[in-house]
Amino acid sequence: MALLLLAGLVPRAFSQAAEPGTNTRPAAKRVVIDPGHGGMELGAKGKFGNVEKDITLAIALKLKAMIEKSMAFQVVLTRDKDIDVPVENRSAIANNVKADVFISIHTNGSRQKTAEGSETFFLSVGATPDEETRRLAYLENNSSRIEDHVDKTSEDDVKMILWDMAQAAYIRQSSQLAEMVQAELNALLGTRNRGIKQAPFKVLTGVACPAVLIEAAFISNPDEEKKLASEAFQTSVAEAIYRGLTKYLQIYQ
Amino acid sequence: MAKGTNNKKAWAPALVLGTLLVILAVLVIIFFTGGERERVRRLAGVNVPKPQPPVAKSEEMKTVTLFFLSDDDDLLHRETREIAAGPTTAEEAERALAELVKGSSKDLISPLPAETKVRQVFVTKDGVAYVDFGREIMEKFSYGSSSELAAVFAVVDTLAFNFKTIKKVSILVEGVEKETLGGHIDLTQPFLPDFSIVAK
Repeated sequence: MALLLLAGLVPRAFSQAAEPGTNTRPAAKRVVIDPGHGGMELGAKGKFGNVEKDITLAIALKLKAMIEKSMAFQVVLTRDKDIDVPVENRSAIANNVKADVFISIHTNGSRQKTAEGSETFFLSVGATPDEETRRLAYLENNSSRIEDHVDKTSEDDVKMILWDMAQAAYIRQSSQLAEMVQAELNALLGTRNRGIKQAPFKVLTGVACPAVLIEAAFISNPDEEKKLASEAFQTSVAEAIYRGLTKYLQIYQ
Repeated sequence: MAKGTNNKKAWAPALVLGTLLVILAVLVIIFFTGGERERVRRLAGVNVPKPQPPVAKSEEMKTVTLFFLSDDDDLLHRETREIAAGPTTAEEAERALAELVKGSSKDLISPLPAETKVRQVFVTKDGVAYVDFGREIMEKFSYGSSSELAAVFAVVDTLAFNFKTIKKVSILVEGVEKETLGGHIDLTQPFLPDFSIVAK
């Protein structure tokens, strides 16, 4: 229980230490974009030969260009070419650059050829609903006070355990981010609204900031695969994520 | 010619010995080939039409509920199946999962690759079932999030639904812990069943 409570707070303590002047307006928000899969890991495959890893990278590069053009916030990619990046490195990148938001981009795959639509996931932690509700309530009420008591010089292996569960403290904000991104996906893509959902995605578990995983359309559905392969659709996905992200970050300015 | 009479005398016991050796050799051949044929027949028992009743018929059977996908929606759908009962939960769980791999007898969609091998199931005292699959479960399919979630929860729900002692399920591949099956769902923590994704 103690570990669970500490999990979310240590990362916060780190970012505080990095920004001593609490009253000064913080530097531009930092967004980490994670194009799913890469290298040997193809992700889902489409009937016409398109693979998830290529489309996620194409969307991520378009999104990065949009963000850089607007200069509204900083952007870091977990990969900018077709290479293998282990899942734990992706969250480590986000934590090392002290990301304010982490967005993992995927295209969905199902065994049902007819499955279609877009959805946005945030992490579900492996506790029973009761435990989770209680823990979240506790974190919300006590986080600021406990933060001051976290030992910033704790052992490295203890830190590793804490990082491993870092996302648990950001579930509520992540769900808010998921809602905003999903609303834009619905507005811009014209794909079926599959809503926001929770699932135990490995790439989200260690991320110490609000984090979502976007499943833009199904590459396993031949109609949606054709869309996903088109520049126009990829741009729309990037645009939708950009808008959702901007709205979310405005709340926390 | 004196040599010939000597030889004749010497041959008599040799002939007897020779005959005995031949009989022995024949017996040995019959023994081994006869045995071999019986063993082969027993191994092939499932496929060969058999006059005797199958072994399983004398054993007790158990009805299990399996979870498959459907083309109609995104939910898991139940299908019942008979498996041989006992002696342990782990063995019954192995049989239930083998049936899940075999696929639906209706037109439901199997969430696991047809080549998947169930190597072993082990159930701890505190109710965690460790399911060890062969590498085929990872190599024979390119998972998307939906298909990976379906694969995991078809396994987890099948075990938790049918076996009261199983509370959580941990999935291993080739005897070791893997991070994911295809880059999505975290396998390093045991799963609680999720029956909210099951059709009514």
